[in-house]
Amino acid sequence: MKLTAFAAIGAAIVLASPAAFALDKVTFATNWKAQAAHGGFYQALADGTYREHGLDVRILQGGPQVNNAALLPAGRVDFLMTGNLLHSFDGVRNGLPTVVVAAIFQKDPQALIAHPGQGYEKFESLRNAPVALIAKDAQFSWWQWLKARHGFRDEMLRPYNYNLGPFLANKRALQQGYSVAEPIYVLKQGGFQPVVHLLADHGFSTYSTLISTRTDTVRKRPDLVQRFVDASIIGWVNYLYGDRRAANARMIADNPEMTAAEIEAAVELMKSQGIVDSGEALAGGIGAMNEARIRDFYDQMVGAGLYGADEIDLSKVATLQFVNRKVGLQLKARLLAASER
Amino acid sequence: MHRRPGSMHAVSEGIILDHVGKRFTVGVAALQEVSLQVAPGEFVALVGPSGCGKSTILRLVAGLDAPTLGRVEAPAVTDRREAATAFVFQEPTLMPWASVFDNVWLPLRLAGVARAQAAVQVRELLQGMGLGDFEQAYPAELSGGMRMRASIARALVTRPRVLLMDEPFAALDEITRGRLNVDLLAWWAERSLTVVFVTHSVYESVFLSQRVLVMSERPGRVIAEVTIDEPYPRTAAFRATEAYQDACRRVSAALVAA
Amino acid sequence: MKPERLLPAVTLLGLLVGWEALVRLAQIPHYTLPAPSLVAQTLWQNFPSLAASWWFTLRITFGGLALAALGGVTIAAVFALSRRVEAALFPLAVVLQVTPIVAIAPLILIYVESTTAALLLCAWVVAFFPVLSNTVIGLRAADPNLRDLFRLYRATPWQRLRLLLVPSALPYFIAGLKISGGLSLIGAVTAEMVAGVAGRETGLASRILEASFRSETPKMFAALALLMITGVLIFWAFNALSRVLIGRWHASEQP
Repeated sequence: MKLTAFAAIGAAIVLASPAAFALDKVTFATNWKAQAAHGGFYQALADGTYREHGLDVRILQGGPQVNNAALLPAGRVDFLMTGNLLHSFDGVRNGLPTVVVAAIFQKDPQALIAHPGQGYEKFESLRNAPVALIAKDAQFSWWQWLKARHGFRDEMLRPYNYNLGPFLANKRALQQGYSVAEPIYVLKQGGFQPVVHLLADHGFSTYSTLISTRTDTVRKRPDLVQRFVDASIIGWVNYLYGDRRAANARMIADNPEMTAAEIEAAVELMKSQGIVDSGEALAGGIGAMNEARIRDFYDQMVGAGLYGADEIDLSKVATLQFVNRKVGLQLKARLLAASER
Repeated sequence: MHRRPGSMHAVSEGIILDHVGKRFTVGVAALQEVSLQVAPGEFVALVGPSGCGKSTILRLVAGLDAPTLGRVEAPAVTDRREAATAFVFQEPTLMPWASVFDNVWLPLRLAGVARAQAAVQVRELLQGMGLGDFEQAYPAELSGGMRMRASIARALVTRPRVLLMDEPFAALDEITRGRLNVDLLAWWAERSLTVVFVTHSVYESVFLSQRVLVMSERPGRVIAEVTIDEPYPRTAAFRATEAYQDACRRVSAALVAA
Repeated sequence: MKPERLLPAVTLLGLLVGWEALVRLAQIPHYTLPAPSLVAQTLWQNFPSLAASWWFTLRITFGGLALAALGGVTIAAVFALSRRVEAALFPLAVVLQVTPIVAIAPLILIYVESTTAALLLCAWVVAFFPVLSNTVIGLRAADPNLRDLFRLYRATPWQRLRLLLVPSALPYFIAGLKISGGLSLIGAVTAEMVAGVAGRETGLASRILEASFRSETPKMFAALALLMITGVLIFWAFNALSRVLIGRWHASEQP
């Protein structure tokens, strides 16, 4: 009798553990080549967090000329990473059935960088640069805001192919970049520290590295979405505060041009600039969002002339049901304590 | 009107080939040792097997090629400024993008004569050839025989002294050919013109010419000469005469022996 | 009107009807595949801005083509005059032909000051070779007997060029132009795709990109439709030109 009881309990335990169930296959498309700014996702992949949450995740890289965004409404990917809320505003305006479910970055690290000593130390001087190297995705999102709000012109534009060469060769040129990434590469390849102007400091107050999914996924499989969001948040906590070597190795495998040193330097910048874990995220967990901030950003864009005042139903832009649940806070405390010892 | 070979002019206005040899760069000798003379105003035919060099002789006389041995005397060679020699090819060689008028006008145009000035001459010629209504037609719109007439009209428009014809009627049907033979003799009769006529056809050579020169196989040289005494104008009736048959036999015999 | 002449229009109409039916019956969302009626509506609504871009693309296409024709003919004339020059420079021309414009467009766009000039250059690069190659052949295709005739009548080199070589080469040149017309459009579109919104004015391809990135699929299709119409118009235009210039006498135009 005892044997049968133990067997029954053992079977129940085994059956109850999520790993025993078939994993949900899920594809997550990013908006750039693998870099430290994607670290948390790769962490959840590398250390099994996604698996523990019943997810078999495949990460699909983006790139400077690639437009992964179309894959989400078409049903080819399940989750999509976008760099700012403009994309979501456009989606709502055009009736796309997608919605934002988490905002991993509290601050958008999008920046313009320039050579030092060329008179670009002040943001106002950037609009007179002869050349700005900007990738496609950006040309059709925040560049439009720079034109409307800060007087930049299309004549300055040159295509950006993830190659620093043209920027390094032309002292008068500007280039797009993440404040936590490109300055590191420029220092390595060009031997100098570039001037960095964070767009967030000049009115571009959007959340960044947003996770979007289809509205019918939210409706029909909310637990799947919750699991993906939670696992991603935990991935980010582990990445920032724990052992991230496996994640880094994974990212280098996806993007061989990346080096471990660059990734580490970027992580330091992400922490010091408060990109991920700052503001609301400190209390509500990474990925936190609130409606007031979304509305504020929208108003800024309306002020810049990108949208009409009531053109977009903001309630459709994001859903807060999956975040602000203090996920990962305890884990973070544990990891920080362990690292101090 | 009877026509006799002109003998008033000095021989230097005629055509002389003096021990002419022609070897092309490939190494093949086209002409071995050709000597012949054509008096001004004469109608001479040149027959011979394929490849014997008949066309080469015409090109030498036209000044389009130079001999490797010997001497050629002809208006085109001795006086390079004047375009006193005309050439009619086996193909009509008309400019397909130009009208019949413009094609016939070409030699005068190249000599600097404007269209309006040339118009009278060109039209007269076309009328005489039966092409008066086809002045504005394009070569693609004409029959083979008409194209050949246009080609001959072009040749005659500069009032040349020498007319060289390289199997001009070979591509035409019997009837058209026969008609053109008679017409050609009429056009020759109206002008003082030296004609050297190359042909494959023994019958044609005898019908048209005063002398038939027979050439050997390559490398060619003149191996026989047959004189045709029949006076001009010659009609179709000539073909039925014994003299005609006899001349044809003699030419054929010479050809066989080539 | 003969039945055969209506066939293309009928086929096109049939395709459009089928497309519309498919979208409605299968309830395909507009952001995946918009129905022709929606595309037409979008085209109508956005016509002013799309028309401006269309005009720009047309200017780049025909500008590049004109430069290619000019350059091709000039260099063909030089080649026809000197076999040595041809032997020396022809490999360069071939290299130009096979280099994928998609690869060199980004470089050209970065290093050439004016975006418009860069776009023209890209269109020129793809359109240049067919004109050059065909014209060289054409200049050499003059009937040898006609050449002899011109020599016989002591034609000057200028007369030979004007009255013999140019008309002889014309059908070949036009054949080259027909090919280059479509290629120039492709070159312009490819370059615009790479350039994005760079430059003072932008063309249809940039509109397509913009619509794609901003999730405006019907607008994307509307701009695409204009591009396709442009391709067809270019084809017709050169066919008509060919008929006018050589229709009366060249074998290629005879029924």
